[in-house]
Amino acid sequence: MAIERCHNLFTHATGLPLVAMSLIDRLDGASSKRRVKRFWLILVILIFLILIILPSIYVLFEAVSQWGSINEVVSDSGKMAVIWGAVGNSFSIAFIVTIIDIIVGIPMAWLMVRKNFPGKRFVDTLIDMPLAFPTAALGFSVAIFWGIPQGLDVPGLGIVVSPYVLVILLHLIFTYPYMVRTLSGILEQLDPNFETAGMTLGASRFTAVRTITLPLFRAGLVTGFILCFARSLSETGGTYIALNLIGKQSAFFTGPTFISDLKNQAGSEAAMPELILISVLLIVFALLMLFVAKLMMDKVKIPWSKVWPKFERRISRGLAVKMRNGLSSFFLALFIIIPSFFIFSFLLIEGPLPDMAGLFKAMGISFLVAGAATMFDIIFGIPMALYIARNKDKGLGKALDMLVNVPLIIPTTALGLSLYLFWSSASLPGLVLVILGHISFTYPLVVRNVIGAVEEVDPSYEEIAKTLGAKPFQAFRKVLLPVIQSSVLAGAILAFTRSLGETGATIAIDPTINTVPIYIVNLINKFRDLNNPDYVYQAAVASITLTAVCFVMMVAVKYVTRRKLGGRGHD
Amino acid sequence: MTEIRLDGLKKRFGSDMAADGTDLTVESGEYLCILGPTGAGKTTLMRMICGLTEPDEGRVFFGDQDVTYLDTAERGATMLSQTYALFPNMRVKENVLFGSWIKGWPEEESQQLARNILSMMHMESRSKAYPDELSGGQQQRIALARALASGSRVLLLDEPLRALDARLRLELRKDLKGMVKAMGLTAIHVTHDQDEALEMADRIAVLRAGRIIQVGTPKEVFEDPKTPFVANFVGRSNMIQCRVVQSAEGKVVLENEGGLRMEAKDGGQPPGTEVLMAVKVGNTKISTKLPGYFEGRVEKILYEGATITAEVMVKGLGLVYSKLPNRKFDDFREGNTVSVNWSPEKARVFDIPEGGIEYEIRVD
Repeated sequence: MAIERCHNLFTHATGLPLVAMSLIDRLDGASSKRRVKRFWLILVILIFLILIILPSIYVLFEAVSQWGSINEVVSDSGKMAVIWGAVGNSFSIAFIVTIIDIIVGIPMAWLMVRKNFPGKRFVDTLIDMPLAFPTAALGFSVAIFWGIPQGLDVPGLGIVVSPYVLVILLHLIFTYPYMVRTLSGILEQLDPNFETAGMTLGASRFTAVRTITLPLFRAGLVTGFILCFARSLSETGGTYIALNLIGKQSAFFTGPTFISDLKNQAGSEAAMPELILISVLLIVFALLMLFVAKLMMDKVKIPWSKVWPKFERRISRGLAVKMRNGLSSFFLALFIIIPSFFIFSFLLIEGPLPDMAGLFKAMGISFLVAGAATMFDIIFGIPMALYIARNKDKGLGKALDMLVNVPLIIPTTALGLSLYLFWSSASLPGLVLVILGHISFTYPLVVRNVIGAVEEVDPSYEEIAKTLGAKPFQAFRKVLLPVIQSSVLAGAILAFTRSLGETGATIAIDPTINTVPIYIVNLINKFRDLNNPDYVYQAAVASITLTAVCFVMMVAVKYVTRRKLGGRGHD
Repeated sequence: MTEIRLDGLKKRFGSDMAADGTDLTVESGEYLCILGPTGAGKTTLMRMICGLTEPDEGRVFFGDQDVTYLDTAERGATMLSQTYALFPNMRVKENVLFGSWIKGWPEEESQQLARNILSMMHMESRSKAYPDELSGGQQQRIALARALASGSRVLLLDEPLRALDARLRLELRKDLKGMVKAMGLTAIHVTHDQDEALEMADRIAVLRAGRIIQVGTPKEVFEDPKTPFVANFVGRSNMIQCRVVQSAEGKVVLENEGGLRMEAKDGGQPPGTEVLMAVKVGNTKISTKLPGYFEGRVEKILYEGATITAEVMVKGLGLVYSKLPNRKFDDFREGNTVSVNWSPEKARVFDIPEGGIEYEIRVD
C-alpha cells in the first residue's frame, strides 16, 4: 500500500512547474552546460596565470630586457658588495632561523601532541600568538626588548647590539609557530604504536623516536623548513623598523629592507636596475631553494641505522627529559612570547596619541585591501582548489599544484616590485595595484587550505548529489561547501590577517598607499629624520591597535577550526 | 520499450581498457545485473550511464535521446553507491528530501513523500538522526530511500549490499528488488557476487575486461554459458581439456591426454578437435558404489553448511571438485576411492579459448 501511495505521489509532484528563476537558479542551470563548465575552468586558470603567477615573476623578463643598465650595476663593485651583502644576509638569516626552529620546534611539537599537562590549551594559544601580531609591531617590540634603541628611553634588556643577531631574534618569533604547527600536525597523524613496538623490542624512547618516528616525518620537516625559510626571507616591515630603531638602517641590509629603503627614497626610478637585480637574485635563489627542498623530500635518505644505546638511554629518562621540557618552555617564554608582548609596555608610558583620524584612515585602507584580496581569493581560489584536489594525478593538476606555491616562496618585496613593473604601462591606480599584490601572496593560503579540506571529502558525495538531480553548482553549494566551509573560513581569515600585516609588498608597489604598516613605518622614518621620540610613541600605539585587531581575527580562526574539530562524529 | 541503450562505449584509463566496445540494451522496468570480477569495468560502465564519466568513444541513449554529453543532473538516473554517501551535514529526512529540494518541488508534497518512503523503510523513528548515528543496514535503507524519492526512472546500484554483513545482505536482496519493482523503476545493479545476481536479476550481463561476454536470464547464464569463463564464474565448474572422439545423438565422447574418457553435450566440434569441457561442480557426482567415467581418491571434504565439497584427486587429470548436499557428509572419508560421474547434457564443450585456458578461467 505504502509503496503505491509513493508511486502516485511522484507522478503528481514531478508534473508541477518550477518556481520562478532567481540569479542562483540561473547559475545552477548554467553550471550544467559543458561549454559553461569549460569556460569557467579556463577563466579561473587564466586569472591565476595572468593576474597572479605572471606578475609575480615578471621581473625576470624585465631583467633580460634591461640587461644593459643592470650590467652597469653588476660591474660597479661597490654597489654589488652591498647587494650581495643584503642577499647573503637574507639567506643566511633565513637558514639559521629555520635550523633553530627545527631544534626547538621538535621537542615543543612533541610536548603538545604526546603529553598532557595543565594549561595545555593556553600554551597552544600562546604558540599561535605571534601569527596574530603584524610583523611591523613585532619588529618594534623585539627591538626595544633586546636591542639598544637609539635616541629612545625604554626599559628593555638592551643587550643585543649586532643587527644580524637582532634580525634573527625577530624572525624566530613569527617562524616558530609555523614550524611547531607543521610538525605537530604530522605528529598527530603518526601512530604512537610504531614507537611502542620499537620500545617493546628493546629500544630506549629516544632511540625509538629517532630511528622510527623522525624518518616518518621527514615530509613534515621539509614543509616546515620551506614555510619558515620563505617567511623569514620575505619579511620586511618588522626588520626595517627594528633596524631603524637601533640606528643601523643604512649600515645593515637584508634583501627586502634594501628594496624598501631605495623605494622610500625620492627618485627610486633611478635605482631601478639595482632593484631589479636584487629582486631577481631573491626570486631565483628562493625558487632554487624550493626545488632543492622538494628534491630532498623525495630523494635524500638519512642514515639512521647507527645506535648509541647507553647514551640514548640516559637522555631518555628522568632529569634529561625534564630538562628538555623545561628548556622548550623557557625558550617559548623568553624568545617568543615576552619579546612579542613587550610593546605593550608603551601603554604604561605617558605620551602623545597619534593622529587618530590618520590612523583610522590607514585602518580603513588596510581593511579595504585585505577585504578585497580575500574576496578575490575565495571566488577564484576555491574553484582552483577544487580542480587541483580532484585532478592531482593529471598533468595540469600537478603543474597547477606546484605553481600555486610559487607566490608563497617569493619574498613579497621582490614580488611587489615585479608586479609594479608588470602593470607599469597600464597606469592603474596605486590602490588597485596594491590589492593585486596582496592577492598574489594570500591566494596560495586560501587555495592550500581548501585543497586540504577537499581531499578529505569523499568525492562520491557530490557525484551522488548529481545523480539525484543536483546541477554541478547546486551540488557544490548544498553538499560540498557545508562540509568544507570551516576550512574556507580559516583560510580566508589567515589571508586577511596576512594582508593586514604586510609591509614589504605595499612599499615595493606604491609606498603612498597608506596601510597601517606603512603608516607605522612612516612614523619611524619621521622619528629618524626629526629625532623626535613622540613619533615612536605614536607608532607604538598604532602597532598595538593593529595587533589588537589581528588578535581578534586569530581568535576567530581558533574558534572556527576548533568548532570543526569538536564537531559531531563518532570516531 | 527500450529505456537505456549503450552503443560501442569505449573508455581507457592509462593502459587499461575499462570499457572496450560495450553494447547493451536495458528494457523499461527491467532489473538488470552486471556481473563481473573486480576490475572488469563495472563501475566505469555505471558512471558512463549516469554521466559521471565521459566515454572516449560510443554513445549512450535514454529512450531515443542521445545523452552521451548531457549533464548528470538532467539524465534522471540516480546512483546508489557502495559507501552510501549519505550527506553528513544533513539529517535522515533532509537526505531523503534532497532530490525534491534540489528540484524545487512543493514543500507539502515533498514532506508527504518523505513520510511515505520512510515508513515504507520502517525508518520514520530515525528521521531526525544524522547519518553517522545509523547502523550500516539503516544507512543502506536511507540511501535507497533517498534514491527512490528523487523521482528518477532509472536506478543505478553500485554493489549496494557489499558493506553489509552476510545475513542482512540476504534479507535486503528481496526487499530491494521488491521496492524497485513496485515503483516501476528500471534498475541496473552492479555486483561481483554471482549468488546475488542469480537471485535478483531479470537478466544478467556478464562483464570481463571491459567487454560484455553474455547477456541472458539467470537460468540461461548459469545453465548455458557461452564461454568457459562464464561457466566457471557463474557457479564454479570443473574444466577438463580433451579431444572429441566421436559424436552421436547430441552427445560427444571425449578423451583427455591421460586416456580418460567422458561424455558431454555436443557443441558442434568435429571428431579430432581439441576442446575444453566444463561441468558445474554441483553437477559432478561421486560415488563409492556406482561406476563412473573415472576413479579418484578423496583428498579433502569441506563442510559448508547446506552443502559439502569433496576434492578428488584423479590420476592423469588432477583435482576434481564435487558439491553435494550435506546429508552425504558421512558417506565419504578422506582416502576413499570414488568414481566420478555426470549426466552428459549438463556438461558443455567449448573451443580452446584464444587467450589461453589459464587466462580464460581466472576469476579475479
